[in-house]
Amino acid sequence: MDILYLLIPLSVVLVFCILVGLWWAIDRGQFEDIEREGERILKDS
Amino acid sequence: MIWSAAQVQPSAWMLAIQKSGYRAMPANDVFASERRRVETRKALWRWLVAGLCMMQVMMYAYPAYTAHPGDLTAEMERLLRWASWVLSLPVMLFSCGPFFGNALRDLRRGTVSMDLPVAIGIAITFVVSSFGTFDPGGVFGRAVYFDSLTMFVFFLLTGRWLELRLRDRTAGSLEALMNRLPESLERLNAQGLYERVATRRLLVGDLVRVHPGEAFAADGLVEQGETLVDEALLTGESHALRRGPGSTVVAGSHNLSSTVLMRVQALGEQTRFAQIVALMQSASTTKPGSAALADRLARPFLIGVLLAAGLSCLWWWQTDPERALMVAVAVLVVTCPCALSLATPAAMLAAAGNLARGGIMVRNLQALEALSAVDTVVFDKTGTLTQEAMVIGHAEARAGTSLAEAMQMAASLAAHSLHPVSRALLAASRLEAYAETAWTCDAVTEFAGQGLEGRAERGAEPVLLRLGSARFCGVTRDPSNMLRVYLSDAKGWLATFELREAVRAQAAQTVAALLQAGVQVHLLSGDDDASVRRVAAQVGIELVQGACSPAEKLAVMRNLQSQGRKVAMVGDGLNDGPVLAGAHVSFAFGQAVPLAQAQSDFVVPGGQLMAVVHALQLSRKTMSVVRQNLWWALLYNAACVPLAIVGMLPAWLAGLGMACSSLVVVANALRLTASAHIPKGR
Repeated sequence: MDILYLLIPLSVVLVFCILVGLWWAIDRGQFEDIEREGERILKDS
Repeated sequence: MIWSAAQVQPSAWMLAIQKSGYRAMPANDVFASERRRVETRKALWRWLVAGLCMMQVMMYAYPAYTAHPGDLTAEMERLLRWASWVLSLPVMLFSCGPFFGNALRDLRRGTVSMDLPVAIGIAITFVVSSFGTFDPGGVFGRAVYFDSLTMFVFFLLTGRWLELRLRDRTAGSLEALMNRLPESLERLNAQGLYERVATRRLLVGDLVRVHPGEAFAADGLVEQGETLVDEALLTGESHALRRGPGSTVVAGSHNLSSTVLMRVQALGEQTRFAQIVALMQSASTTKPGSAALADRLARPFLIGVLLAAGLSCLWWWQTDPERALMVAVAVLVVTCPCALSLATPAAMLAAAGNLARGGIMVRNLQALEALSAVDTVVFDKTGTLTQEAMVIGHAEARAGTSLAEAMQMAASLAAHSLHPVSRALLAASRLEAYAETAWTCDAVTEFAGQGLEGRAERGAEPVLLRLGSARFCGVTRDPSNMLRVYLSDAKGWLATFELREAVRAQAAQTVAALLQAGVQVHLLSGDDDASVRRVAAQVGIELVQGACSPAEKLAVMRNLQSQGRKVAMVGDGLNDGPVLAGAHVSFAFGQAVPLAQAQSDFVVPGGQLMAVVHALQLSRKTMSVVRQNLWWALLYNAACVPLAIVGMLPAWLAGLGMACSSLVVVANALRLTASAHIPKGR
């Protein structure tokens, strides 16, 4: 079970990586208008 | 852009910007909406951080609960605790920011809201758990509560985030309304040329050109050109209205079809639009406030907790000074007001979700608390108790002409117009009572505000018909204030149609249900007294007042409020706007004017009157659930604090108790999501 000593710290790092990914998505406004990408094809500009 | 007014005029640097190839735009609402967007993103980010960290911390906590003694080595346990601590750190430092911020503000102002006990509770829990992690042999013991802590923060933030979203939608729509007026427009100058000037430079009497797609910046008279305008914002009239030379246009309405010249009559504060907006704003700022139930409990709760902790510390100090601090901390941890602070938002969000499924949008959660105390409901008439469309009531025709035939003749003319009366005639002509061979009509001309003229025929010789007001048809008007429309041909009077307002299907049922619930029902309307009383009698309302201006309506409502009554207003028109804003609780109907909607706590898009009753009943149920939740939270504390004081509460039980009390409160609130059936109205 020694592998846990590596895996647990790794999971902490992984959570931080996911959080950075989410921050990137929020910062680009991806959760504000969920319909936008679907409607984009209907718009001229 | 910042400039020194002493050195340069705005027009000069505007010109400079234009010369360098850019366009300068006044930044009016950009900042407000930008700030709100940043705030929303931050709240979402806080919530996600708390959620993700909570899940991971729970995974690390899991072995400690389930492992058999000896399975978990001391080293492994420490590693898991360290990992939990690392992931709780962002939750404490970032996600809990608003709680600590509000608590600090409370301390500075000397007030106590629910955020202060919450902040103290989570701070102490975190500090104790940190000591438990890094200094297991220390004075605080070796207990950790990271899992209950992060879960509690996540629950609280979920409630806040949903609340913020509700509020945002309201703020956004109101802001959009305020910015309806254009920043600049084309004015005819002394040289006879049109130049673009800022709206605030406009003077009464100026001649301005308004292009299609633009909004009118001021009230005025059309001088030249004919166009269609959209006044939905002000009147709620959903179809375009025709405006020709001599007719008035109002600020805030949109020019739809063609360019017109307008002579400015009223500007800025004097426009009808601005007056009503101002009245609404002043009414909403003086809205009677109601302190939230949980916040009222916060102060006694905080004092009680601090007293209990202090006294137990003192008591232990005499016998066992080493344990005194630990016991005090245990009391503070166990009283972390999880259930207390979740009690209200959980129940209200569950109720709001239920109402949304029933077609009622809740714009302000606090309104549910206010609604449960409501003992007076004030209805507006037109568009609320009655439908917007009119129906034909009594009809008379000349001897020798059947009613059905007269109706078909009128309908053949009416088919060429979009006037509400014409639509009512057309709808009536399709009824069985008026079944008759249809007439056709051509060469129809519409005289605005008077009536229609056209040549109708059915096989035989065509006849010239006129449909409209008494004067237009050349007949004497009946002495009555009923709305009537006349039909005449070359020989004079042919038929009279009386128009009535159609009372909504659920109106009488709603009023009866409200009266049964012990609520006083009033009817306030801007229409003439007689027709208001007729509708009131039809639906069973006894307290009636007709012919009220918006200011009078507001005065009547203020009067009711000064008698100590809690008033809910149900309306739809712009005239109701100030009253909607000033009432304790307000409902706007779906066809309502956007301005009226923006100021309402509840919006009912479907136009079902029974929704008012449903919301009232649910709000009462919600408040009883809130009270149960608060009682539960207090009982939980009452049971745990003595145990903690005598030092008999093990850490795992304290953590479990904290988590369970939150879950019980949330589960109790979920009972409100069981939806009730709202009958669908026509």
